[in-house]
Amino acid sequence: MGMLRIMSRRGDDRITWDPKKADANDPEAQAAVREAERIFQEARMRGATAFRVSPGPTERIDKFDRTAEQIVIVPRVVGG
Amino acid sequence: MLETLSLFLGIWLLFLLLAIYYLSQAPEGRVGRFRESVSEHFSAENRARALLQEMLTDEQYQQLMKYGYLEVASPSSADRIYRIPGSGGLVKVYERGSAVMELCLQPAEPLPDGDVVLMHKLMIEANEPEYLQKANHFAPGIISLRCPHL
Repeated sequence: MGMLRIMSRRGDDRITWDPKKADANDPEAQAAVREAERIFQEARMRGATAFRVSPGPTERIDKFDRTAEQIVIVPRVVGG
Repeated sequence: MLETLSLFLGIWLLFLLLAIYYLSQAPEGRVGRFRESVSEHFSAENRARALLQEMLTDEQYQQLMKYGYLEVASPSSADRIYRIPGSGGLVKVYERGSAVMELCLQPAEPLPDGDVVLMHKLMIEANEPEYLQKANHFAPGIISLRCPHL
């Protein structure tokens, strides 16, 4: 399963998808991937930073990765 | 001295009683919204704590719970450690055990404390140069107050 976690004042909001089912053209799984990708892009446009946290070491990503197990989105940051 | 202290205590008690009276007289909606807001705050903090626990190793989480900070090793320099406070404030940078600077970087929108800790960790590990470039740098020990929003 893939999971997108978006940090906000409410804690993190989560969206999950099944990449295997999406690859097998399951309409629900494909819709979930599209929704996760849309939210990812909207957040990036607002200046958020995305990190692929698994598998492997933490990596900053600029494009949505449906194969990622977990992506965490951090809102725009500023020097205080 | 004792009289001044008593006066301050008296004023403080008066304000407390006024606040209790105000809340008891407030319409149900206002009190309800206050309760809801408190409940949302605790729910957000719980979610952030759960995410943090999931993302950290047991040792890292224990360090945060026991000492109130999380130490993250610099990916570029073996001598450098970032000490991230667990409840907001400046990130202290140590090199060979000595504090060399403090950094202030904050999310543009308020986040629960646990998410802020994770934000620093992810940014340091994934792109340390950008993290250092975005943060404001201070000499160690000059500022001890929390950054705004943290």
